[in-house]
Amino acid sequence: MYAYDKFDRDMVDVRVSEFRDQVERRVKGELTEEEFRPIRLMNGLYLQLHAYMLRVAVPYGTMSADQMRRLAHVARKYDKGYGHFTTRQNIQFNWPKLSETPDILEELAEVEMHAIQTSGNCIRNVTSDQFAGATADEIADPRPYAELLRQWSSFHPEFSFLPRKFKFAITGADQDRAAVKWHDIGLIVRKNDAGEVGFEVLAGGGMGRTPVIAKTIREFLPEKDLLSYVEAMLRVYNEQGRRDNKYKARIKILIEAMGADEFARQTEAEWERVKDAHIDVPAEEVARIKAFFTPPPLEVLSIDAPALEDLSKENFVFAAWVKNNTNAHKVPGYVNVTISLKPHGGIPGDASSEQMDLVAALADEYSQSEIRVSHEQNLILPHVALRDLPAIWTDLDEAGLGTANVGLLTDMIVCPGLDYCALANARSIPIAQAITKRFDDMKRLQDIGPLKVKMSGCINSCGHHHAGHIGILGVDRKGQELYQILLGGSGAEDASKAGILGPGFDEHGIVDALEKVVAVYLGERLDGEEFLATYRRIGAQIFKEAIYDAA
Amino acid sequence: MAKKITGPQMILGNYLDDGRAVFFTRDGGWSADTSLAAYEEGEALDDLITEAGKSTANNLIVDIEVIGARVEGGSAYPAHIKHAIQAKGPTVRTDLGYQVATDWEAA
Repeated sequence: MYAYDKFDRDMVDVRVSEFRDQVERRVKGELTEEEFRPIRLMNGLYLQLHAYMLRVAVPYGTMSADQMRRLAHVARKYDKGYGHFTTRQNIQFNWPKLSETPDILEELAEVEMHAIQTSGNCIRNVTSDQFAGATADEIADPRPYAELLRQWSSFHPEFSFLPRKFKFAITGADQDRAAVKWHDIGLIVRKNDAGEVGFEVLAGGGMGRTPVIAKTIREFLPEKDLLSYVEAMLRVYNEQGRRDNKYKARIKILIEAMGADEFARQTEAEWERVKDAHIDVPAEEVARIKAFFTPPPLEVLSIDAPALEDLSKENFVFAAWVKNNTNAHKVPGYVNVTISLKPHGGIPGDASSEQMDLVAALADEYSQSEIRVSHEQNLILPHVALRDLPAIWTDLDEAGLGTANVGLLTDMIVCPGLDYCALANARSIPIAQAITKRFDDMKRLQDIGPLKVKMSGCINSCGHHHAGHIGILGVDRKGQELYQILLGGSGAEDASKAGILGPGFDEHGIVDALEKVVAVYLGERLDGEEFLATYRRIGAQIFKEAIYDAA
Repeated sequence: MAKKITGPQMILGNYLDDGRAVFFTRDGGWSADTSLAAYEEGEALDDLITEAGKSTANNLIVDIEVIGARVEGGSAYPAHIKHAIQAKGPTVRTDLGYQVATDWEAA
C-alpha cells in the first residue's frame, strides 16, 4: 500500500499543528464558533447530538494492520472504546473532546492517517472496490489512480470551496462493488480496442433528496489524462454549479439542468484549455505510485484444504461463512475474507477496540498485514490462504465477528440515524436490530439468498436507501418516527433507483412489511432467481398489495 | 416563513469542550438534568433566550436551540424524540451518555 513521502508527511503534520493552534484559539475565545465551525469541519470534526464526532479517512478503503491498531488505540484512549465504519470507507469516533482532537490527529498522523477533507464542500475521500488488487474479475488495480486523485485533490486550492461536497468512486472490475454510478464522478477502468488501459468517466450521480444515476460523459479516457480531465470537469462544475441553494448545489443538479451531452461538451472544451498545463503527472510518477500496489508475492497453493472441508461438514455456520464471506482471489488457493460488522442484534458498522485489535492481529498473521473497509460497512482481509480459514473464523467467531451473512438480508447498510446524527429524522439502528432478530435463522437467510437492504434515517441517504434492493427511509411525521419502504434499487453495475411503495409504517410495522415483501419474493421467484431480478420481472404492484391490502 | 413557536420552550445547547447536550437551568446555569431546566413561553421566553445566549459569549456553550418542552410535575422534558434522545444518549447504547447516571425511567 502507499507510504507517505516527506511531502505527504509534512503536509499532514503542518495541518495537525495548525489545527492545534486553531482549537486553542477557539477554547480561549479568540475564534468565535461561527469562525471555527468551517475550520473544524474541514478537519473532519462535527458536532452531533451527544458530542463531537471525528471522521477519519481510510483512503480508498485500504489500511494496514498498524493503522487499524492505532484506530483501536484512539477509540480506547480518547473515545468510548469503539468506532463506526461508514459507507465512505471511513471511520467515525462518536465521543472525542474538542481539546483532545489535536492529540488524536497527531497520533493518527504518526501512522499516516488524517481527517482532512472528510467534511466540507471539497473533494472527499475517494472510495473504491474493497477487493482492489486482490480480485479475479479486475482489469487493473484502481488504487494507484485513487491515490493519484487523493494527492491531486488534497488542499487543491481551486476546489476547496466547491458549491457542495464532491465524491469520487473508482473500480477496476466489471462487477461494481463501489457504487460508482451513484457518485459525483465515477470511474470504471476499461481497456480500449487496442488493449490500452483507461477509464469510462461518469458524472452526476448522487443520492440525497434528489437521487440520480450518473451518466457516461466519456466512453474512454486514456490513463495518462485522468487528472487533467477531472480537473476540467470540476472547473465546469465549480463555475456553474448553484451556490444559491444547498439542495440544488450538487453536480447532479447541474448536469440534469444542462444535460449530460452539454456537460460533456463543456468539459471537453475546458479540457482543451487545461490538458497541456502540466496537471497530469509524468509517467515515472505514475509508475512510482503503482509500485506501492504491487501484488504481494503469493505462492500458488492447492485449492484442496482438508481442515476447511472437515469443519464445513461438522459446522453449518462455518460452511455458510465460507460460502458467503469469502470470494475468489486472483491467485489460486487464496480468497478475500469479508468480516461482517453486522452481528445479529448488533449495531451495523461498529467495531470495538478489542475487535479492531483482533482484526489487526489476524491481518498480520494471515493477510499480508492488509485490511480493507467496504462501503457496505464491513472489513476485509485480502490474500488469505484457503487453508487458514478455519483458524481465522474460529478467532473471529469468539470475538463476535463470525457472522456468516455477507450479501444476505441482514448484511444491511445502515446510517447512524437519530441515535447519533443531528440531521436524522428517525432511528435506523433499532430497526436494523429488529430485522436481524426477525431473520436470525441462517438457513432461512441462505434460502432467501442475495438481498441488499439499505436504510437511512433521513432523506440525506447516508444509508443508500435509494440503491437498496429493499430500501428503508426513516421520516418524521409530527414527531413520530415512520419508515417508508422502497423496492428495486441497485448500487451495482446495473444501477437503478428504488421506488417508494406507499405510506410509511411504525417501527414494528416496517419489520412486518419487510417480511411480507420477502414472502412475495419467495412465492414468485423462478428457480435460481434473485430478489432484484424477480422484482424487475413482476413489478411493484404485487408487493404493494401484499403489504397494504391486508393491513 | 419561520415556524411559530407555541407552548412552553426550553433552551438546549452543547458544552464547547465535550459537546455534551445540556439545558439552561432555572438558576442560570447549564445541566444535562432536564428536571432542572428552565422553561418559558410567550414574552418571558425572549428573556430566557437572551439570558442563555450570554453563555455563547462566555465561550461555554455552542449551538443554542430553543426546543419544545413537555411539562410534568413542574419539571420540563424535551417534547420531541430527537431532543429526548439528545438528552439521554443513544437508545441503542444505554451504557453510554447521560442516561447512565440518571434515573430516566422516572422522567
